[in-house]
Amino acid sequence: MENNAQAALSDGATGNGRFTALLNATGISPTGLTMIIILLVLPFIPPFNQEHILRWLVSAALLGAQAIAFDFTTGYINVVNFGFAAFLGVGAYTSGLLAVNLGLSPWVGIFVGAIPAALIGFLTGLLTLRLRGIFAAVMAWFVGLALLGLTRNLVDLTRGPMGLSTPTLLNTSSNRPYFYIILAMMLITYIVLRKIIGSRYGLAFRAIGQNMDAARASGINPTYYRVFNFTVQCLFAGWLGGFYAHYFGILTPQLMLTARTVEVLAIAYIGGRGSLWGGAAVAFPFIFLIEALRSNLTELPGLHLVIYGLLLVLVMIFYPGGFAAFYKRAVAWVKGLRDR
Amino acid sequence: MLEVKNLNAGYGFLQVLWDVSLKIEKGEFIALVGPNGAGKSTTLKSIAGLVTPKSGDILFKGEAIGGTPANLTCRMGISFVSESLNLFTNMSIYENLLLGAYTIEDKQEQLDTIDFVFNLFPRLKSRRNQLAGTLSGGERKMLAIARGIMSKPSLLMVDEPSLGLAPKLTLNVFDALETLRQGGMTILLVEQNVNTTLHITDRGYVLEQGQIVLEGPSKELLENDHVKKAFLGI
Amino acid sequence: MKDEALLKEPFPVVFRRWMTSAGGITILLTIVVAIIAAIDAGPFIIVNTVVTGGMWALLSLGLSLVFGVMNIPNFAHGEFFLIGSLTAYFTFNPLRLYLKENPSPFLSAIAPLLGIFLAFFVGALLGVILEKLIFSPLRKRSRDQWVMNSFLLTVGISVVIINSVQLTWGANFKGIPNYWNVDPLDFLGVNLSVDRLAAFLLAVVTLIVFWYFMRRTQTGRAVRAVAQDETGALMVGINLNYILSLTMALSAGLAAMAGASLLFIFPAYPTAGLKPLYVAWYVVILVGLGNVSAAVVGGFIVALLQTLTSFYVGTGWEDVIPTAVIIIMLIFKPSGLFGSEVKGIQER
Ligand SMILES: Nc1ncnc2c1ncn2[C@@H]1O[C@H](COP(=O)(O)OP(=O)(O)O)[C@@H](O)[C@H]1O
Ligand SMILES: [Mg+2]
Repeated sequence: MENNAQAALSDGATGNGRFTALLNATGISPTGLTMIIILLVLPFIPPFNQEHILRWLVSAALLGAQAIAFDFTTGYINVVNFGFAAFLGVGAYTSGLLAVNLGLSPWVGIFVGAIPAALIGFLTGLLTLRLRGIFAAVMAWFVGLALLGLTRNLVDLTRGPMGLSTPTLLNTSSNRPYFYIILAMMLITYIVLRKIIGSRYGLAFRAIGQNMDAARASGINPTYYRVFNFTVQCLFAGWLGGFYAHYFGILTPQLMLTARTVEVLAIAYIGGRGSLWGGAAVAFPFIFLIEALRSNLTELPGLHLVIYGLLLVLVMIFYPGGFAAFYKRAVAWVKGLRDR
Repeated sequence: MLEVKNLNAGYGFLQVLWDVSLKIEKGEFIALVGPNGAGKSTTLKSIAGLVTPKSGDILFKGEAIGGTPANLTCRMGISFVSESLNLFTNMSIYENLLLGAYTIEDKQEQLDTIDFVFNLFPRLKSRRNQLAGTLSGGERKMLAIARGIMSKPSLLMVDEPSLGLAPKLTLNVFDALETLRQGGMTILLVEQNVNTTLHITDRGYVLEQGQIVLEGPSKELLENDHVKKAFLGI
Repeated sequence: MKDEALLKEPFPVVFRRWMTSAGGITILLTIVVAIIAAIDAGPFIIVNTVVTGGMWALLSLGLSLVFGVMNIPNFAHGEFFLIGSLTAYFTFNPLRLYLKENPSPFLSAIAPLLGIFLAFFVGALLGVILEKLIFSPLRKRSRDQWVMNSFLLTVGISVVIINSVQLTWGANFKGIPNYWNVDPLDFLGVNLSVDRLAAFLLAVVTLIVFWYFMRRTQTGRAVRAVAQDETGALMVGINLNYILSLTMALSAGLAAMAGASLLFIFPAYPTAGLKPLYVAWYVVILVGLGNVSAAVVGGFIVALLQTLTSFYVGTGWEDVIPTAVIIIMLIFKPSGLFGSEVKGIQER
């Protein structure tokens, strides 16, 4: 990762063609690259080098990665996975339980945990995605609630609300290495999903998202692509859940609450639907704002959620493109000024 | 009664009507004919308030109604029977008719009008409890027209009643329109079935590619060379 | 000729058609299961089912109505329930304390109803405000992907309401011991509290009034007309904005009323609306999206399912078992047990 960044620093300035091609292949814009570089050095710059702020950075990157995966489905095939947090929970618990009971290395468990999440996602999708989108949303929610109920009730296995202690990925109390891990996971999520969007699958997604009938008429099988998309989203949710399990070191059923899904959903939308990167971009300032609110206004619990909700409503009504659209407009405006 | 002046209208960026003008006096039976896609339905929708005009005036009883929403034009006395009928398919014939009289407050008046339309279309009377969605094509057309006159309109606009109907049923529908007209109703009829239409109407307008190309008494239009060539296949 | 008796279809015809449909079979099966369970476990099964069932019916009916008429999948529906229970709490509790000091049998008898009816109006008002402030602007801006956009809006609204309630009144439980402080009645060997009986009767009366409104008044017909064909509704002179506001008001009012009526079982606290929301959605998917009358029946079916689950399987499982049931249903009859009245469940 850092090598890459150094390469960026030296080559980017001279405009090396091969490097530009590489950037294009990853789907990261020059501005995006700049942001990534800033994020890479941020943990060493005060005040960001303090542990509690590093923790915020980790949360932000985790939330951003989730928002990217979330937008892959809502932004392209117009299906809301309202049980998203539960799929993340499946990955987290699978990986955690394998580590606790079978001694599987968390580094492997993270990947193994993604499989059941994807499988449940696949089955849910198969069942509902031939119907209107709202069925998938509601059923994913029900499945999520059932999974939450299971983790709460199977106390022998999951220890229920008492919480499951899981081994951490690293043997360190510092948050900095975790930040680099989750940042890398966020970038991988972005690059892989961007690749899919750029392929003929992405074309099919968009066709389905815009006009189901027209897509069908041009020989696309909407159910196939919708199930594929949904499964991939759940796969990534499970994978990110693995990180969750082995970063926090404790799992409670709380992590599967609908409120968690709502948080991801709000960030993805405020970031800009159908942009993929928007959610990741706003996750950082948001987490900082909210953590600052939370620590300064402890007597007002829930205020940050009111802000989430209000912003979601306002964005939906008045600025449906979210931050991504705003950014695009701003860039066009600046270009207009320059060219004048 | 109705005057349309230089109407321009369309859907989004697509302009369909170009400077369309027409005039209808009280009690007249007017035909609006033209080929498929000419903009006949769009004209009716603009008058009914389902399409907002880009420019031009629509005057109804001297009042400008361009852009007035459909529920208000209905209250002013314009009734529109659309091509797709827009029936309430999960309601019975009777309920559809009652809703047709939504703008009429007086209960007795509603029931009297239902009597009137049942006399006009006895077929509907015998099936009054059947759901509209389960009716045959001809029955649906009758119901749509019946519902259209339930609000006691001063202007009735009917869009292609003959579309998809067997000739015999078409005649039934036309007969009913004829009866209504004799009762003093003003009717604007859109049809592709040009021959029959021009035989029963007083005056006609020919619309092609969004523009009025011909107008005049129906009898004269029947003799017109262009009409003969384009629509009557003579 | 000139009377509305015309509207009625002969009863045997309706009945036969019903009993052979999936819906009819479901109802029959539900009754049979309820009776067997009642014999096995005791009549309280039926009493519990019927009491909560009535309120679930009010709740699901409102959710279904808003989906059918406005095409909004409302995820803030539970918050109307919450607002209802809060209203009842803040109306009834001071009254209760006052009556402790100044006993008055008459006031004691009607004080609960006061709270419940006030809840209906507060809920309805909130519904209208949401329609005017939020849904109407979105409708004017764009109707593209309306279902998903409005769904997300309701999610936002729900978050705002839940947390505003928490900010304002804190997270503690606001409940009452009972509405009517009298000895329970003995009914089939079951102790039936007056509160429960009242909740049931209230639900039944409300359902009858609602049914009459929807079927026999022009305004009710107009609501159904908008659900079936919006353009057609405009063409016959129906004021769409008025009907949409009215629908939202009714839906929210009924949910609030359910919340208020059940205050003695479900105290008010910020996330009190989640469970009712889940139930209402469950019912609506189970019986068929947008099918309003089936939602009423569904309320009772789900109440039975819940009662049975918590008695035979144990509490804590009531989210798991119903989900399994609905998955089976979706495999075999995705349009819902009673079929759907919405323009189709397949994605267009
Ligand atoms: N709802 C609509 N959206 C976009 N274009 C439309 C719509 N309805 C009609 N059109 C277009 O407007 C033109 C005129 O249509 P219409 O008025 O229905 O013609 P007519 O009734 O004479 O057959 C056609 O080219 C048609 O494709
Ligand atoms: Mg037409």
